[in-house]
Amino acid sequence: MIVFEDVIKVYDPDVVGLQDFTCHIGKGEFVFLVGPSGSGKSTLIKLVLKELVPESGRILVAGRNLGTLRKSRVPLLRRNIGCVFQDFKLLPNKTVHDNVAYALEVVGEPRRSIRRKVPEILSLVGLAEKTDSYPHEISGGEQQRVSVARAFVNHPPLLLADEPTGNIDPETAVGIMQLLVRINRTGTTVVIATHDRDMVNRMRRRVLQIEAGRLVRDERRGSYDQVTEEVGDAL
Amino acid sequence: MRFRFFLSEAFGSMRRNWVMAMAAVITVFISTAILGAVLVTRDNLNQGATNLKNRVKIEVFIKDEATPEQTQALERKIQGLNDVKSYKYISKEEALRRFRERFGERIIKNLPINPLPASYEIQVKNADRVDSVAQQFFNDPTVDNSPGTHDGVKYARETVRKMLSTISLIEKGMWVTTGIFAAAAVLLISTTVRLSIFARRREVEIMRLVGATNWFIRWPFVLEGFITGLVGAMLAAAFVWVGNWGIANWIQSSQIDFLSLRIFRMWWQGGAWPLGLMPSLAILGALLGAVGSLVALRRYLKT
Repeated sequence: MIVFEDVIKVYDPDVVGLQDFTCHIGKGEFVFLVGPSGSGKSTLIKLVLKELVPESGRILVAGRNLGTLRKSRVPLLRRNIGCVFQDFKLLPNKTVHDNVAYALEVVGEPRRSIRRKVPEILSLVGLAEKTDSYPHEISGGEQQRVSVARAFVNHPPLLLADEPTGNIDPETAVGIMQLLVRINRTGTTVVIATHDRDMVNRMRRRVLQIEAGRLVRDERRGSYDQVTEEVGDAL
Repeated sequence: MRFRFFLSEAFGSMRRNWVMAMAAVITVFISTAILGAVLVTRDNLNQGATNLKNRVKIEVFIKDEATPEQTQALERKIQGLNDVKSYKYISKEEALRRFRERFGERIIKNLPINPLPASYEIQVKNADRVDSVAQQFFNDPTVDNSPGTHDGVKYARETVRKMLSTISLIEKGMWVTTGIFAAAAVLLISTTVRLSIFARRREVEIMRLVGATNWFIRWPFVLEGFITGLVGAMLAAAFVWVGNWGIANWIQSSQIDFLSLRIFRMWWQGGAWPLGLMPSLAILGALLGAVGSLVALRRYLKT
């Protein structure tokens, strides 16, 4: 689903975003990106969305080479990628319903199917009651669920989440994570950049650890921290 | 194109950001009202100038002893001049009648003969040419010139000259004013639009992340600009129209004789209205709004 080959992204002045980054994420996988702030997790996500363009290297998303993707096709790429962010990124002037509906309006979904799909997805994330509320009227966890609903309403093949649980309390975070797992079960590839140590350790999914723009660990059923032989022995 | 969706987005956003929408409407209103006022004033001055120019006439007095043949020759000469718009023969009797009308019966009651000469009243096509036309009669034997002078040819020489230079100065001034206000209007409106879009740049960012194409994002903003521009400009056009009408009315009916207002009234019929000013102001306002939105959005729609 996502292929990075020797990708280098440098921010000026000489701030390295990604360094010789190579990785493959297969269709239907559930992957955690871990690493300290500024290590390059968000850079990676922005590169997949083609919000940023790498200095060198090749990025393929769903078989499409982003380097040769024309500007006018970028919106089409993004429609196939659901996005969830730490700050939710909801339109403040739209109700919960209209926020989710916007993602459908954008792809030209007929009015009738919008009327059917939005309540469906909202009840899936447990927000059927909040349809007509505005983002500022609901809690952070609820806002994040709206954002997940918006990301998934098109049933995209890929869902990216940048610190989805960063701004919400641990219990609500579990709910969000369960939602993402359910979405993954429908076949959607899910990539989550996170700081949430407990969550990663509990889930035991594939972990990609990034440090200073380099991939330092790729573990199939990993934990947040690298457990080396020595440390393991010491414990 | 999902016009209904875009329209409801535009109206929804205006309702939510009504302060900004009001600010935009007021800005467009002020700018186009000033522009409209300048244009109307220019037209009124032009109308006055044309009226004044049309009043410029040359009187050529004919010697009493001139024979009918000589008079006819003079008339042919007037006919032959290119710059003459029209002319009229005033007989001695006609002159006397006019005199009586103006000054009353008493003064001429006891006159044994009619002392007033016959004359031709000539109107020129262009006030600039009044000098050269008048000169044609300075040395004509049929014209009642006292020896060594041109007093048989009368025209408001100095007045014409002053009037012409004043009019051309005013016209130039008006063009400059129009230009300045048009530029100010564009700047003011683009600043307002840019401010309102800056306040909503996060919205634009989110729309792009969800995969909205640039035109999908643009349309509601462009419609919004179009509508606010149209409303502001139409209000301005109405305002200018009412103002123009009111001032014209006031000048026509005012009794005061202040700053030669009466003379002013003589040549200013008032209420000149540039043809198509209302629709052009409305279209201008709407375009300013729409194009302003497009330009202001440009920097948020890169990549």
